[in-house]
Amino acid sequence: MATLELLNVKKQFGSVTAVENFSLFVNDGEFVTLLGPSGCGKTTLLNIIAGLEEMTSGEVRMNQRVVNHLSPFERNVAMVFQNYALYPHMTVAENIGFSLKLRKRPRQEIMERVAQVARMLELEQLLDRLPRELSGGQQQRVAIGRAVIRQPDIFLFDEPFSNLDAALRIKTRGEVKLLHQKLGVTSIFVTHDQEEALSLSDKIAVMRQGHLEQFGTPEEIYSKPASKYVARFIGSPQMDIFEGQFEYSNNRYVYRIGSIALVLPHSITIPNKPIDMGIRSEFVKIGETGFPATVHLVQPVGPFTYITVYWEGGSATARVNGISHLKPGEVVQVEFASEALLFFDRESEKRIDLW
Amino acid sequence: MFYFKRAIGSLFIRLCLFVFVGVCLAPVLWGLVTSCLPQSALTSKVPDFNLRNFTLENYVLVLDSSRGLFLGLKNSFLVALFTSIVALTFGSAAGYALARLNVPKSNTILMMILATQMFPGIVIAIPLFLAMTQFNLIDTHVGLIIVYLSFILPIVVWIQKGFFESIPMDLEKSAAVDGASPLQTFQYIVLPVSLPTLFATGVFAFIESWNEFFFAIIMTRVNVKVSSIAIAEFSGQYQTLYGQMLASAVLASLPIVVLAILFRKFILEGFVEGAVKA
Repeated sequence: MATLELLNVKKQFGSVTAVENFSLFVNDGEFVTLLGPSGCGKTTLLNIIAGLEEMTSGEVRMNQRVVNHLSPFERNVAMVFQNYALYPHMTVAENIGFSLKLRKRPRQEIMERVAQVARMLELEQLLDRLPRELSGGQQQRVAIGRAVIRQPDIFLFDEPFSNLDAALRIKTRGEVKLLHQKLGVTSIFVTHDQEEALSLSDKIAVMRQGHLEQFGTPEEIYSKPASKYVARFIGSPQMDIFEGQFEYSNNRYVYRIGSIALVLPHSITIPNKPIDMGIRSEFVKIGETGFPATVHLVQPVGPFTYITVYWEGGSATARVNGISHLKPGEVVQVEFASEALLFFDRESEKRIDLW
Repeated sequence: MFYFKRAIGSLFIRLCLFVFVGVCLAPVLWGLVTSCLPQSALTSKVPDFNLRNFTLENYVLVLDSSRGLFLGLKNSFLVALFTSIVALTFGSAAGYALARLNVPKSNTILMMILATQMFPGIVIAIPLFLAMTQFNLIDTHVGLIIVYLSFILPIVVWIQKGFFESIPMDLEKSAAVDGASPLQTFQYIVLPVSLPTLFATGVFAFIESWNEFFFAIIMTRVNVKVSSIAIAEFSGQYQTLYGQMLASAVLASLPIVVLAILFRKFILEGFVEGAVKA
């Protein structure tokens, strides 16, 4: 069990800066996800935490102790790799027990602990198999077993689900979450999949080009994104963001997007700079009231249907429950839930509260 | 029409393969047959391949130890064995370093190693001969091994480097996280994973060295007469003992053939692994 602290971590590869001024505090037992597109530096950061990569400057602390110069083993971290990195010439049992063998534990103890881990991960029948004789999901479990047996202070996961098919990914996701609930070990999880991040994490660190863009709970990240970048990166379908402008008409402030003008609450304070407005699809309502728009695209996905509508100067996607029978070309009434509107400074792209 | 075209295509490929195998096997067959015929049948104007003449006399003659074939085989074996051991040891160490450690100017080093392969043997034969003379290494096992290494080692470095690059980096990282020192990582992970390739490369180096003739005839006199030289000596100033020469050649090929058959799985696996990224 451990807390983890990153202090101004910086990593350069030649002239390329992979991670810049990255600071983060992870509480004991927390499940934290590093989320970002490929190339944003999240795996580099994970390798730095693991001790597999040296940082250019900064500090990594575990339980308040600086561990910069400790080996991965001395840091007592365990890591699950993207391609599992199972030792191909060793059986499942040997793979799981390898770290204990290196520590010269007695054979009997190794066997017992391997059996215990195998029971927990339902690998008992597979202990004598070689990795190549296992399915992707089984290999994944062996990789987790190899990490669990170490009884590490911190678990590190490097996109561990990216080689699994969609159904297995969701199943394994659940297993990892259960494992975390059971063991309560501090975990750092790297992924580019926002759904994975939202569903697993206590907190999410959204990364962009080596920087920390936002660090917060999944709820904060989703409903109060710190910037346009986070807003767009989180949530599916992507948040609609409009480059409109404020106007004052009929004693009310409105936000104009092309031919439509959204009426804003009285309590609003209008800043003296260009502002973009964003809204998530579940707050775009299709019904009796609102402004007229034409249906452009209807995409049923099972529990919901995503309906993209357009009007002169803009378009937005609405999420409606169940299967919708709207057809492209139909004219519907669209309403934006004003309490869910998000505003962003066009210049800095940061979100600002206007009421 | 499509199926017809495909059938024709497949037939054409088979035909090409058939011709290719024929071209490869014809000299071997010719050699096998010749080795079993008496000198008289081979020196007549039209070689007489009548099977009535079939004899194992040539084999009996060359196996007579006084003929030097045995000594040649022994020398070839020693030279090939040590060449492949040294080539493997240094070649895989260099290959690993070039693939995994941040060796400065590694690309330049690799290109220089490759450049040594661009000269035909004849170009370096004289400088090598002079150098070997300087060091009193002419007609010694060590001298011949060094000469062979000069062209086998670079290839081994390249093959091994390619292979080590194909081992997923995460495997070594994973071992490090599990608590393995670099040496333990090499011992428990890299080495076992590399065995088939090491084996294939070793067999390759052995065969290259075993079959070598050009440098052997320049760098040796009497002490280190390797089998390829011993075979060539059946061609004398006044007559060529074709039957015995080919019987010796067949005998000298046997170890290689056996080696290839026994370890063909390893060799194929090794070369495939070296070629395709995991």
